[in-house]
Amino acid sequence: MLSSSKFIFFVKTANTYNKLVPNFTQLFSTNAAPAAVQSTVKAKRTSENNPTNHTDDHVGLFYTVPDSVQRQLFSTGGLPKSFAANIKTFTECSFMVRKPAVDLIQRLNATDFSRPPVRHVLYGQPGCGKSIILAHLLHYALVNKFVIIHVPWTWNWFRRDWTEVAYNSKDRRFVDLPVLSAQWLKHFLLQNGTYIDALQLRTSQDYVWSQREQTPAGSPLSALINHGINRVKFAGDCVAALLQELKLACNEDKCKAFVAIDGFNALVNDYETRLKTEDKVKVRTRMVTLSRSFRQVVQQDWKNAAVLLTVDQLAASYRTLDSHWPIHLLGREGFETIDPFIPISVTEYSDLELNSALDYYEDRMWLQRTEGRQDLGFLSNRNPYSLMELCAGL
Amino acid sequence: MLRGRLLSVISARQMAMFGPEFKEPHFRKSELEELQKTGEISKIGHIPFKAAPSAATVSPLYDPLLEKFTNYVMRKGEKQLARDLMAKTLQSVKRIQVQKYNAAQTEEEKAEIEINAMKIFHKAVENCKPLLTLTPVKKGGATYQVPINITAEKASFTSMNWLIEAAKSPPKDARFYNKLAHELINAAAGTGKVIKRKQELHKQCEANRAYAHYRWG
Repeated sequence: MLSSSKFIFFVKTANTYNKLVPNFTQLFSTNAAPAAVQSTVKAKRTSENNPTNHTDDHVGLFYTVPDSVQRQLFSTGGLPKSFAANIKTFTECSFMVRKPAVDLIQRLNATDFSRPPVRHVLYGQPGCGKSIILAHLLHYALVNKFVIIHVPWTWNWFRRDWTEVAYNSKDRRFVDLPVLSAQWLKHFLLQNGTYIDALQLRTSQDYVWSQREQTPAGSPLSALINHGINRVKFAGDCVAALLQELKLACNEDKCKAFVAIDGFNALVNDYETRLKTEDKVKVRTRMVTLSRSFRQVVQQDWKNAAVLLTVDQLAASYRTLDSHWPIHLLGREGFETIDPFIPISVTEYSDLELNSALDYYEDRMWLQRTEGRQDLGFLSNRNPYSLMELCAGL
Repeated sequence: MLRGRLLSVISARQMAMFGPEFKEPHFRKSELEELQKTGEISKIGHIPFKAAPSAATVSPLYDPLLEKFTNYVMRKGEKQLARDLMAKTLQSVKRIQVQKYNAAQTEEEKAEIEINAMKIFHKAVENCKPLLTLTPVKKGGATYQVPINITAEKASFTSMNWLIEAAKSPPKDARFYNKLAHELINAAAGTGKVIKRKQELHKQCEANRAYAHYRWG
C-alpha cells in the first residue's frame, strides 16, 4: 500500500490568483502532497508603528514593534509562550491591528484623565487574542508616557507548587509570594525604570521594614523598588507600598498610570491553587497579598489612570472553568468589585483578518503551501491560536 | 471457529473486515480523474472496494503517509495524542529550519536549506527505508541470518518504526517530538542514528551473503 511511487510530490505551478477570494480549484483542490512553491505572497503591513495613530483603516494589517520596545516591555513576560517563540522564528515582533485594540486606543485618546479610571475588560474564547491586544495597548501606554503597571499572566503566580510561600508579617491571614513579588518588581523596573527616575517621584511616608531597615519619606521610588528586589522577604509589602505611592503621585497629577492585568479573574475570585504554606495549608488566590494589592489598583479612588483587564477561563486550575463570559469568570463579588466596567469582546478572525493572518504566515514561511486556505479557516474555527498551530505543520 | 477455519483455508487474514477480493479505495478526486483519463475506471467499475478509512479526507491538507506515521506513533488507541505529537514534531522541524534559513547570510546558503517540514518528513522516511533485511533460517541445527529482499510495505514500516524508536531513545528528559524532529532533519540530510542503523543492517546483509541461498532450501 505504501509504495514510494505513490508519494511523488505534485509541484503546483504558482498561479497569480487573488488571495482574498479563493478560486474554484483552490476550494476543491485535492492534491495530496505539499506544493513546493516559493511563496510570493507579502504580508499586509502598515508602516504606522505608533499605536496612538491606529484607526479602523489599519484593522487587519500588521505593524512591527521596534526591538528596543519589545525588549523593554516583554522580556520578562507579557506575551504568550507560543507567540514569544514565534518572535524568534519570524525574526520580528508584529501584532495584527484588531478592532478591539483600535476601539480601546480611540477611547483612551479621548479619555478625560481628571476623572476616576474607566475599567475595560477584555473577554473572549481562549486563543482569540486578548493577551496580544493587551500587549498592543502596552505599547500604546509606553509611547504615551504612562507609568505601566502590568501583570503578565496572573496564573503564573499560582500554578507552580514549588513557589516559595511565607506568611505576611503584619497579617497572618495573608501569605506573601516573596520571590514572585520581587520578580514583579524587576518587571516593573524594566518597563518603567528610566521613566520613573526622570519623573523624580518620592515616597510620601516612612516605611519601616525592620529595626535596621527603613525607607525614609522623600527617597526616590527606585529605592523602594530596589529594596524589595534586594530584600526578598519584604517584596510583597514593597509591591503594596509602590502601588500606593503611584496612586498618590497620579492623584497629584505628577504622572499617568496604565494598569494592565492579564487573567484578572484569578485575583478577584477565591480559586484553589497549587501552592502550600510551610505548615501545609492550601493557599487560595484571595489569601495572597499580591492579589489584594492588585485588586486595590483597579478601584476608582484615584485619577490619571487607565485600567485594562482581561478575564480568561485559563486563569484557573486546568479545566475548572468552562465559560468565557465575564459574569461567570468574575463571579458576583468580583463583578461588583469592578462594576461599572466596559466589557470588550475579542472574537475570532473575520474574513479579512483571516486572510491577512494567512498572508503573514506565508510571508514568514510559517505556512508553506498555497492551497487549503478555506480548510484552515474552517478547521481552526478562525481562532487565531488554533490557526497558528494548524499552519505549523504545513 | 468454523468461520476462522474457512477463512484460513481461503487465505484471508483472520478478523479481516474485507475479503481479499476487495481493493483499496480511491477516495480522492484527483485519483478518480487520473483513472478516468487512463481509462482504468472502466476496468475496475465492477470490482468491490474497501470503505475509505474514517480518518481519510479529501482536504488538500490530508497526507496519507503522515496519517500512517501517526498511526504507528499511536499507542493504546490514543489517536488525538498521536496527532498532537506529530503536529508538534512538524512545528519543531519548521522552527529549526526557518531559524536556520533566517540565520543564513548568503542567498546560496539559503537556497540549500529545506524549510518545508512535510518535505523533510517525506524525505526522511524515504531515506530510512532499508533495501534488504535479515531473516532467521534453521539449517542443520544452526540458525543463520539470511539476507532477503524486502517488500515496499515492510521497508516503509521499518523506516518509520526506526524513526519512532530513535525518538524514544535517551535522553529521557527531552521531549519525544523534539527528538523526532531532530531525527527527521538528520535523516532527510542522510545522517543520524536511523541512517546509521540502516547502513549497519546493509553491512550485516553483505557479510551474510554466503547464506543467501539458504532462503530456498
